[in-house]
This record gives sequence, C-alpha cells and structure tokens, in this order.
Amino acid sequence: MTEIEKEKVILPHQAARQGAGDQAVTQSGHTSAKIGGLFEAISEGRPFQSVLHPELASQEPVVEVEGFNLWYGSTQALHDITFSVPKGRVTALIGPSGCGKSTLLRSVNRMNDLIDSVSIEGSMSLSGDPIYGRSVDVIELRKRIGMVFQKPNPFPMSIFENVIYSLRIDGVRDRGLLNQVCEESLRGAGLWDEVKDRLKSSALALSGGQQQRLCIARAIAAEPEVLLLDEPCSALDPIATGKVEDLIEDLKGTYSVLMVTHNMQQASRVSDNTAFMYLGRLVEYGPTDQVFLGPRLKETEDYVTGRFG
Amino acid sequence: MTLIVSESPDRANAPGRRKRDRRRSSLTAHGEPMVWLTGGSLALCVAMIVGLLGLVLYQGLGTFWPQEIVRLEAADGRVLLGAISSRSSYIPEESLLASLPPEQATLLREAMGDPSDPQPIERLLVRSENYELTGSHYNWIDRPLVVSEERPTWALCLERTEKGRFYGLPVAFLVDGEVVEEGPEATWKRFGEQHPAVRRRYLEYRRLEKRDLGHVNADMEEARLYLRSVALSKGEGSAAWLDAKAKFDAREEINRARAAEIQGRIDELKGANAAFALRMRTGDDREVDIPLERIVRAVPANQLSLAGKLRVYGSRWREFLTDDPREANSEGGVWPAIFGTLLMTLLMTLMVVPLGVIAALYLHEYAKQGFIVSLVRIAVNNLAGVPSIVFGVFGLGFFCYIIGSSIDEFFFSARLPNPTYGKGGILWASLTLALLTLPVVIVATEEALAAVPNSMREGSYACGATKWQTIRRIILPRAQPGIMTGAILAIARGAGEVAPLMLVGAVKLAPDLPLDLGRFPYLFPERSFMHLGFHIYDLGFQSQNSEAAKPMVYTTTLLLIAIVVALNLSAIWIRARLRRRFRAAR
Ligand SMILES: Nc1ncnc2c1ncn2[C@@H]1O[C@H](COP(=O)(O)OP(=O)(O)OP(=O)(O)O)[C@@H](O)[C@H]1O
Ligand SMILES: [Mg+2]
Repeated sequence: MTEIEKEKVILPHQAARQGAGDQAVTQSGHTSAKIGGLFEAISEGRPFQSVLHPELASQEPVVEVEGFNLWYGSTQALHDITFSVPKGRVTALIGPSGCGKSTLLRSVNRMNDLIDSVSIEGSMSLSGDPIYGRSVDVIELRKRIGMVFQKPNPFPMSIFENVIYSLRIDGVRDRGLLNQVCEESLRGAGLWDEVKDRLKSSALALSGGQQQRLCIARAIAAEPEVLLLDEPCSALDPIATGKVEDLIEDLKGTYSVLMVTHNMQQASRVSDNTAFMYLGRLVEYGPTDQVFLGPRLKETEDYVTGRFG
Repeated sequence: MTLIVSESPDRANAPGRRKRDRRRSSLTAHGEPMVWLTGGSLALCVAMIVGLLGLVLYQGLGTFWPQEIVRLEAADGRVLLGAISSRSSYIPEESLLASLPPEQATLLREAMGDPSDPQPIERLLVRSENYELTGSHYNWIDRPLVVSEERPTWALCLERTEKGRFYGLPVAFLVDGEVVEEGPEATWKRFGEQHPAVRRRYLEYRRLEKRDLGHVNADMEEARLYLRSVALSKGEGSAAWLDAKAKFDAREEINRARAAEIQGRIDELKGANAAFALRMRTGDDREVDIPLERIVRAVPANQLSLAGKLRVYGSRWREFLTDDPREANSEGGVWPAIFGTLLMTLLMTLMVVPLGVIAALYLHEYAKQGFIVSLVRIAVNNLAGVPSIVFGVFGLGFFCYIIGSSIDEFFFSARLPNPTYGKGGILWASLTLALLTLPVVIVATEEALAAVPNSMREGSYACGATKWQTIRRIILPRAQPGIMTGAILAIARGAGEVAPLMLVGAVKLAPDLPLDLGRFPYLFPERSFMHLGFHIYDLGFQSQNSEAAKPMVYTTTLLLIAIVVALNLSAIWIRARLRRRFRAAR
C-alpha cells in the first residue's frame, strides 16, 4: 500500500470521525463508539466515497454500474453505487439486513420494474449494452441474465419442463436440443444423477436443496452472461448448502456470478471479490482475501469479523 | 447469580405481579358459550338442510311406487275404485251436516261422538280418475260414510296417453270389435301378449310423425324461405327468382313424395293398431272399450309381488327420465327438461368461464391497481346482489329484442315477421345466466390468482418470459383449481335458477329439442327449451290437475337437485385431479 492510497482510503474515515464528534458518541453510547463514525456519517447522509481496491480495475467487467441511485417512492434505497462485476468470477455482496443488496441485485435484471413505486437514476450496462434506457428490450435483457432467488421457486410442472422453461418461451421445439440442454443444465447444477430417472415427475416433489439446484439449472439453461444469486443457501441445510457452494465453485470461470450472502464464511470460501454495503451505499469493494484479511476500512473489518451488529 | 436467585421470589410477591382474580373475568373469556353458540348454529343449519332434503327425498321417491287399488262404496251411493292418495281429518261444520241427507249426517255425528267435544273425522282422497266418465280425477270421501271396502284382485290401473289414468277391471279383449277373450285372467294374458307389439308400433309412428315428417316440413319451409329471400332481394319474376322457383318446385315435388311415403307408413301402423282394444268395467259397473295403443302401462296393483312392484317402479322411473311429457306435463317423462337444463348449463359454463377468467386476469394481472380498478371490483361484486329477475328483464330487452332482432333483420329477414332470434331461446337464456354468474367466476378467479405466489411470477420474468407467457404457463395452471371452484359455484347457481329463464326462453312444452342430430346445423340455439326448474314451477302452480302434479313436483325437484349435485361432483372431481399436481407444494 502506498502512502497516497492510504491517505485516500483513510480520508473519509477521518472526516467522519471528526464530523461526528464527541456529541454523537455520547448520545448513542457504546455501539457507536465501538464501530466508529463512518457508519454514522452514512446514516446522516453526508457525502462519502466508496473504497474500491485498485486490483479490480484490471479485470474485464461484465456488468458495470455507474452512479446508480434507486428510490422506493420517496425513500432512497441505493445511493450513488459505482462498481463493476468482473467476467468469469464470483462476486459476493455482503452487508447488514436492509442495506439494499437485493435491491441492487434486482436492479441488474430490472426485476424492480415490477414495482410501480420504484424510480432510478444513473446507469448500468451488461457487456457494454445499456440495461436502463428507453430502447432496451427488457425481455431480451432478462434472457441474458439468470437469477436464483432466496427461496426456491420451481414452477408447478415437471422437472424437465422447469429446466427448459427459457427455451420453451423462446418457442424451441427441437426435442433433441431440449433433452440435451436439460441434461447439461442438470449436470451443471449437480442434480442430474438424483433426478435423471424422474424428469417427468413434478418439480414440487423435490427437497428444498434439490429445488434450489433445479432453479440454478433453470437459470444456467439459458446460458446467461451473468448469474444473480440472492442468498441462494439461506433456506437450505448445511449439506445442501455445501452442494450449492461446490456448484458455484464449479460455475466459476464459465459464468460470471453476482451473489448476495449473509454468511461470511461462504463469501470468503466461494467468492473472488467482495463488496460490502451499508445503508444503500457501497462501502468497500475488493478481492475477497483483501476484504477479509486486510480491509482498508475499520468498519469493514468490524463487519466481516462479526464485531458489528 | 445469588442476586438473581434472591430476586425472583421477591418479584412474584410484588403487588403488581400478583395473579389476577379469575372469577371476575367476563363470560366470553371462558370460551364455552361460544362453542355452544357456534355449534348450535351449525346444528340448526344442518337440521334445516337435512329436513328439506329429507322431505324432497321422501316425497319424490314415493311417487312412482305402485299403490293398492281399493273399491269403496259410500253411504251416498258413490262407488270409488282407485288409489288412496292422502288422508286428512276435519270437523264438519253444523251447516254442512244439516245439508246432508239424515242418515249420512247421523253416521258422521256418531263418528264425531260427544257434540260438546267433537272428534275430527277422517276423510280420504281417492284417485279414482276415469276422467271422461266422471269429470274428476280425485274424490274426497268421509271415512264414516264408507259402507264397504275391498281390494279387487283384478283391478287394473291403466296409464294412458291422454285423459289421465283409468281404474277398472278387465272384462274382455277385443280384436276388430269382436270379443276374442273373456274373463279377467284370459284378457290379462292376451293383453300381455299383444300390448308390447302395439306399443312398439305406436312409438314407431309417433317417431315418424314427429321426426321424419318434421324434417320434411322443415326442409320445405327452408326452401320456401329461400325463395322468399330471393324474391325480396332480386324481385319477383326476375331471372334469379325464376331459377329459384324452378328449383323450389322440384324440391317441393320430392318432399311431397317423401311426405306421402312416410304418411303411408304411418297409416299402415295406425291401421294395424286400431284393431285392438281392452274392455274395462269401472267401479260403478260401466263398461268402456279402450284402444290398446292408448295404454302406456297397465298395472294390476293388487296382485303384484315385491319384485313386480319394483319392476313397475323402475319402468316408471325410466319413463320419467327418458320420455316426453304428456297430460300437460303431469304424466310421462321430463327428458326434454333434463336435456334443456344440461345443455343450457353447459352453454352457460362455456360462456361464463372464459369471459370471467379473462376479465379477472385483466383486473388482477394487467390493470394498474387503483381507484378505478377498486370501483370495477365493487361494481362486479354488487352485480351478484342484483335480483335474478332483473337479469331476465335485461336479457329479454337486450339479447332478445335488440341483438336478436338485429340478427333477424340481417340474416333471417325472409322469415319476418316471425322472429327467429328475436325471442327467448336457449342461447339468450345461457347468455343471461352467464351474466348472472359472471361475478362468481370473476371473484373466485381473482382469489385464485392472488393465491399464486409472487415468487413464481418473478421466477418466470427472470427467465425472460413476457407477461402473457407467465400467465399462460405459470399462473393459469397454478390457479386452475381455484378457477374450477368458481365454475362449480357458477354451475350450482345457474342450474338452479328459474326466474330469469321464464323471460328469455324456458317454456312449459317445447316441441323440439335444441339439439337435432338428424338435421343440419344440429344445434339450434334460437329454439326455446324446457328447464327442470321452470317445469317445477309450471307443475306446481299452472297445472289443472294439481293433485296429480304434486308428487311430480317433488320428483322433479329431486331430479333437479340430483343433477346439480352430479354437475358439482364432476367439477369437484376434475378439480381434485388438477390439485393432485400441486399437492407436493404444500
Ligand atoms: N418493495 C419495496 N417497497 C418499498 N421499500 C422496499 C421494497 N423492497 C425493499 N425496500 C426497502 O429497501 C431497503 C433495502 O431492501 P433490500 O431488500 O434490498 O435489503 P437487503 O440488503 O436485501 O436485506 P436482507 O439482507 O434482509 O435481504 C430496505 O430498507 C427495504 O425496507
Ligand atoms: Mg435481500
């Protein structure tokens, strides 16, 4: 770390400390004193600069986010987010509950369009193509992005039909192709051996872990450019979680993954890069080992070591 | 540690923490009265439903059971031969007693006992029929006036195609006016031999008259209308008209020949039947010859074993379910009404379910939720509270008179001034009931749509599906059981509705079914139809022979309930099959 970088990193930290002053510390007592003034600065809405590790600049981006703001009605949920998801790597989003991780993730494939009250500002792009814009075809865009939700949501149809759903809606009828895609996707999701004999039976009869891997198979069947995972393991037991983690490990390289997780071990195990968010702002973003072992901000360290909250 | 241990008993004893006095709590806090209230209400509901069903079952099932035939001789000289259909008791007025001949009055007075505390006397309602001789179907007789009562072994109850039943004793069997058998036993035997063939011939020529001749007539009518429409559009005497006239003449020629041929066959069958007759003696010893073909069924009620009674019972039920009505609907079957009810309900379901589902889809999936949508929703719900007769008035005014008349003007102008669609018919009736049941379907479908988890919608959108693809592939299959519930409710409501039908096409006697597989285009949606609900109303309140109609009211009610139950059960069965797919989800 050079002197200049250090300064740049510490600046907002110190500014927050100075700005917050002794008054804030005495008012909110113990916690605030312990985690320091940066969080307080954020909660008071003072301007603040995200800390982006320079190593990331060299990685080829697949999703780029530029000055992104999002409002639910009149409450702002995302503040001036700027970062990029590198290609072929796993990027983890961490942060306390309600900090806007899901909101950010859902902004990438424009799932927030379904909520009437949402309004946005700023720009995002997928492999150089704008995501927000008047001329963007949302349906086509979503076909390039796969998403897996916190709770497994298989469709009320057979396992086979679930996997090839994205091909069905494209009107693909070629039986051979459908079978091939189904097998490849299920193999990719590590589910093939468990379900290959009952592809025609209902997907709802699978266990929770199998359902979640089925959802991943469904997402990768469309060969998306980026895969969004919103806490994919939160409804699963440790064994199923392990399987899904192994799977994400395997997807690395082939797919670019942006995942939300509350589990620090999981983030440190499977991700290449980690972004830490707080109250709608991106606080620190860098290679996972750096974020976990040598974060630039004391607040990040507090959070990843569990000393916060 | 020590601190905490010593603290807890302290707390329990503190005044604020003391257990409150239970005895002062309110009655509802105990819960027991509510159990009684709710349970009692349920019991009341069940009792009312069971009572209604029990009455309908008891009365409806008994109608076709063959009753014993009794011969009663009264002190006033009347002789009644027939079945006792009901009993009641009354206390005769003094003025009535005074108007009777003295010996009869004495009999009644004796039966009443002490004049200061008169006992009611029993009277019997005897179904003695033989309308052409007596001018009445039923007769009351006071029990004390009955001087002799017997059950003649050979008494027969004849169900005839017209003029009601006939009660009497078989005397002789006649062929061409000549007595060929005499005495009840021989006559009965001969009757059993001849009757089925006669009956078959009768049904055959009736079918020829009704269906084959009907088709010929319809064809002739069609040709005439075509000629008329050519005359209207091209002018009489024009080349096109002359051409059409030539064709018409040829067609008429063919039809005349066909009609003559059919008529010949009918006459032949009629002639073969005319020879046979049954000579019967009534209770008061008058003899009547009854043509054999007029007898639908002869029941020697007093000789029947249980198996024989069951046979008669079954045969009457079969006739009821499969035959046309006769005797102003109070006898015979209700097949046209069953058919009309089912067809109308089917048409209604075919119209209301797609319409309601599509409307609900728009309301729930497409429309932006807000004031206007809430307003529409409230309006739809209120539609369910509009009296059904109002729908009938609307159907008559809008469907029959406005839409129907326009159709007539554009497509059936040759038939005017006779309306084709501009009057009540099964299509308009189904549409009216579809409108009536629309709120049910919309509300049920909206509920079903709301029950589809949002996560499924999001999953589908995230795969790049459009709204319609999501609806068709995810939401509708998932909502199907709920939509079926709506359809079931609509069917139950629609099949039992009568009031609006009286205005838009249900009639007491429809000459033809709305479906005729022998004639293009097979389904005639403009025809009026018979409906079980209307049939019940007509039997119960419009019938001349109301005593004979009463048991039929119950039986028809029973049948209507059975049909509604059957429709519901089949819909529930389909829904259960659909649900099986989603069972694992719960
Ligand atoms: N549909 C919505 N309408 C209004 N506000 C919303 C909506 N969805 C989320 N929010 C708000 O936006 C903020 C961010 O929510 P978000 O779901 O993105 O948090 P999160 O980081 O995913 O939290 P968690 O870890 O608990 O899932 C929260 O304050 C939340 O209350
Ligand atoms: Mg979330």
